[in-house]
Amino acid sequence: MISIDGVTYSYGEGISALDGVDLEIGDSELLAIVGENGAGKTTLVKHLNGLLKPQRGRVIVEGIDTRETTVATLAKKVGLVFQNPDHMLFAETVEKELSFALVNFGLPPEEIAKRVEWALIEFRLSNYRDRSPFTLSGGEKKRVSLASVLCYDPQIIVLDEPTTGQDNLQKTRLASTLAKLNRQGKTVIVVTHDIEFVADFIPRVVVMSKGKVIADGPTEEILVREDVMDASSILPPQLAELSWKIGLSTPSINTEMIVEEIRQILRCDQK
Amino acid sequence: MKVFKAFEYRRGATILHRIDPRSKLVYLILFTSLVVYFTNPIALLIIFLSFLPMVYLGKISARWSQSLRGSLFFIVFIFIFNFAPTAYYSGSLLDAAVSAIAMSLRFLNLISVFSIFFLTTSPEDLTQSMVQLKIPYDYALTFNMAMRFVPTLSREAQYIMDAQRSRGLEMEKGNFISRIRNYVPVLIPLIISSFRRAELVADAMESRAFGASKKRTSLYVLKMGRGDFLFISAALGSALVLFTVNLLL
Amino acid sequence: MLPVMALAIIEVRGLSYTYPESDAPSLIDVNFRAEPGEFVLVTGPSGCGKTTFCRALNGLIPNSYGGDFKGTVMVDGLLTTSTPVYELAQRVGLVFQNPENELFCTTVEREVAFGPENLALPREEIAMRVEEALEIVGITHLKEKSPEELSGGEQQKVAIAALLAMKPKVLVLDEPTANLDPVSAKSVLELMHKLNKNGVTVILVEHRLEMISHLVDRCVVFEGGRVAADGPPREVLYSDKVSELGVGLPKVVQVSKRLSSLIGEPLRFLTPEELATYIRGMSY
Ligand SMILES: Nc1ncnc2c1ncn2[C@@H]1O[C@H](COP(=O)(O)OP(=O)(O)OP(=O)(O)O)[C@@H](O)[C@H]1O
Ligand SMILES: Nc1ncnc2c1ncn2[C@@H]1O[C@H](COP(=O)(O)OP(=O)(O)OP(=O)(O)O)[C@@H](O)[C@H]1O
Ligand SMILES: [Mg+2]
Ligand SMILES: [Mg+2]
Repeated sequence: MISIDGVTYSYGEGISALDGVDLEIGDSELLAIVGENGAGKTTLVKHLNGLLKPQRGRVIVEGIDTRETTVATLAKKVGLVFQNPDHMLFAETVEKELSFALVNFGLPPEEIAKRVEWALIEFRLSNYRDRSPFTLSGGEKKRVSLASVLCYDPQIIVLDEPTTGQDNLQKTRLASTLAKLNRQGKTVIVVTHDIEFVADFIPRVVVMSKGKVIADGPTEEILVREDVMDASSILPPQLAELSWKIGLSTPSINTEMIVEEIRQILRCDQK
Repeated sequence: MKVFKAFEYRRGATILHRIDPRSKLVYLILFTSLVVYFTNPIALLIIFLSFLPMVYLGKISARWSQSLRGSLFFIVFIFIFNFAPTAYYSGSLLDAAVSAIAMSLRFLNLISVFSIFFLTTSPEDLTQSMVQLKIPYDYALTFNMAMRFVPTLSREAQYIMDAQRSRGLEMEKGNFISRIRNYVPVLIPLIISSFRRAELVADAMESRAFGASKKRTSLYVLKMGRGDFLFISAALGSALVLFTVNLLL
Repeated sequence: MLPVMALAIIEVRGLSYTYPESDAPSLIDVNFRAEPGEFVLVTGPSGCGKTTFCRALNGLIPNSYGGDFKGTVMVDGLLTTSTPVYELAQRVGLVFQNPENELFCTTVEREVAFGPENLALPREEIAMRVEEALEIVGITHLKEKSPEELSGGEQQKVAIAALLAMKPKVLVLDEPTANLDPVSAKSVLELMHKLNKNGVTVILVEHRLEMISHLVDRCVVFEGGRVAADGPPREVLYSDKVSELGVGLPKVVQVSKRLSSLIGEPLRFLTPEELATYIRGMSY
C-alpha cells in the first residue's frame, strides 16, 4: 500500500517538478504512469524509496513515512530500476552483479546463491553467468539490471522507462514477467512513453502533466478519453483513434473487441 | 559534486558577462598571482572583500556562495593540516592560527576568483579567445569540451548513485577503508559511461565535418572594446593598490 | 517501376562488417539502394545491426571504427572507404539516439554554426545557413537558448538543424525519438516528412512503426545482420515473414489482417484514418 499525499518537490528555485500529487496505490496493483517529458514521473518514483523526500505533503509506503527512514531500508521493500542499465552495471560478472543488492542487504550466502539462481533462470541469463555485463547487448544489459533488483524480491517493483530501445519480442517477454510477478502479489509500477505497451498489458494508468496527476483509472477508460489525451502529450493508442473515427459508442483498445465491432458494422450493412 | 556547479557557466547579460574573456583572463592571472604571493591574512581578507563588487556586478552571488559552501570541507581540512604541524614545531598557537587562517583564506580566494571567471565566461567565448590568442583550435576545443561535460558528468554521477542506493548501497557505512570501497560501484559505471560518451561525442563531431579544414571560420569574432580597456585598467589599478597595502601591513 | 539505371544516392553492395573486438559479424552481405528523395524506414529486432548500418552510411564505419569491412558503400557517387568522414558529412547527416551526446555548444545558434564553421565557409554564408536551418526546422525562436534548457524533442530538432546547415542530401536518423514523449516524437517524425518533401533523402531507424509507417516510401527489415525484407510498407508489414520476425505490427495492421481473413478480401491499411474511411464507405 502506497499513499502519496499532496506531495510537492522542486529541484531549485522556480518551477516545481511535482505540484501537489495525490495518489493511492493498493497492494498487488499493476499500473502505468505516463505523461510528457518533464511531467515529473521520475521525480515521483524517486519518492517511493526515499531517494527524494517530499518538500511538502507525505509519502507513506507500507505504513512507513519515507521521511522517517533510510533509502536502504525502503529499498528492500521498493525495487526501483532506472532506465539506463549503464548507470548500475559495474561488477566483473553477471553473477556478481546479481548478488550485489543481496550482499548489501546482508542475506546469508545460501540464500544469496538461491536467489541468484532464480534470477538467472527467470531472465534467461544462465548462459551469461560468468560474462562481464559490459560485453552484453543493450537488451541483455536491461535484463541484468531488472534481474539485479527483482532477485531480492521487493514487494513493490518500479520500472522507469523499461521499454526504450526494446524490440517487440523483448517487450512482450517483459510484460509477461511483470504479469507473473503481479499475480504473485507484487505491486508493479511502470513509467513509460509507450502507450501501445500500456494499452496492451497494463490495467490501470495514471496520467501526469506539469507536476500534477490529471487522470487516473482503468486503462481502457482513460486512454479512450479525448479530453485527457488533449491535455497531456500522449497520443491515443491506434485503436482508440480508430474507435473515434468510426464512431463506436463504446470506444475500445482491445483488438478482439474492435474486430468484433467492425464485423457487426460490416455484417449489418451487408444484410 | 556540488562544487562543480559553482563553476558552471550560465548565460547572463551583465557587464561582467559582456567583457572579453581575454580581459577577464588578465584579471584572473593578476589576482591569482596576488593571492599566491600574499601571506598576510589581512591583505588576503581585503582581496576577498574586493570580490564582493564583482560578484554583485555579475549577479552570481547564489552560485558563488554555493561554491564557498561546497569547499567548506576542504577549508576545514586545510586549516587543520596547517594549524597542527605549525603549532607543533613552532610551539606558538598564535603563529599557527595566523598561518592556518592565511592558508584557508588563500584557498577561499582562489575558489572565488576562478568561480567569478568561469561563471561569467561562456566556454565558446573562451575557446574563441584562445584561438585568437593563437592557441591551436584542437587544444582550445578540448578545453571547452572538458568544461562543457563537467555538469553532465556530475549529473551522471547523481543518476548512478541513485541507482546503486536503490540497490541497497550505503555510501556512508563502515570505516574509512570500506567507505572508499563503497565508491567502486559508483566510479566504475561513471568511468565507463564517460568513455562511451566521449566516443559518441566524437562520432557526432566527426559527423559534422570536424577537422575538415585547417583554418576554421567562426561565426563570431571577439573584439576588445572601450569597456575592456576600462576593465583591465581597473584590474591593474586595484592590483597595484592591494600590492601597496600588503607592503604597508 | 524506377528505371534500373537511375542514379542511386546510396548504393550498398555486399557489405559485411565485423567490429574490431568482436568475433561475430554485425552486418552480413547487405545490399541496399536508395534513390534520391526516398524515405526509407529501417527496423528489426534489437542487435540486428541497424546502428552499425547507419554508421556505415556516413563512413564512421570503417574510417573511425576500423574492423573488418567487405563490400562497398557509395554515397552520392563517393566510395566511403576512400573518402574522409568530414567530406561525407556534407552529403550524409547522422542523427543519434541520445541528443545529450550530440550537442556540445552553449547556444543553439553556435551549435548549428559548428558544422559550417568546420567547413571554413565565409562568415556571411554561415550566418545565412544557420538562419535557414533554424527556419526550416521551426526553432528560430530558440536561437539564443542553451541546448541544455530545451526539451528532448527540441534538442533533437537542434541536432537536425545542425546537420541541415551542412546541406546534406541524405539524413540518417538512428532511433531519434527513443527518449521522447509521443507528441514530441510525432513532431520530429513529421519534420522528417517535411524535409523529405523538400527533396532530402531520409533513412530512419524506428521500432514504433505505428508512428511512421504511413509516411515512408519503403520499409527495410534487418535480422541478424542481414536484410530480411525490403519493399513498400504495405507489402512488408503485411508479409508473413515479417510477422514471424517478431516485428511489432501496428494495431491497425493487426486488425486489418483479421478482417481480411473474415471477409475474404485483402485489406492493407496503415492508419486508423484509412481503415475508418474504408469502414464508413462499406456501411453505405
Ligand atoms: N536533477 C535535477 N535537477 C534539476 N532539475 C531537474 C532534475 N531532474 C529533473 N528536473 C526537472 O524536473 C522536472 C521533472 O523532471 P522528471 O525527470 O521527473 O520528468 P519525467 O516525467 O521523468 O520526464 P521524462 O519523460 O523526460 O523522463 C523537469 O522540468 C526537469 O527538468
Ligand atoms: N562498438 C561495438 N563494438 C563491438 N560490437 C558492437 C559494437 N556496436 C555494436 N556491436 C554489436 O553489433 C551487433 C549489432 O549492433 P547494433 O548496435 O548495430 O544493433 P541495433 O540493430 O542498432 O540494435 P538496437 O535496436 O538495440 O539499437 C550487436 O551484436 C552488437 O553487440
Ligand atoms: Mg523520466
Ligand atoms: Mg541501435
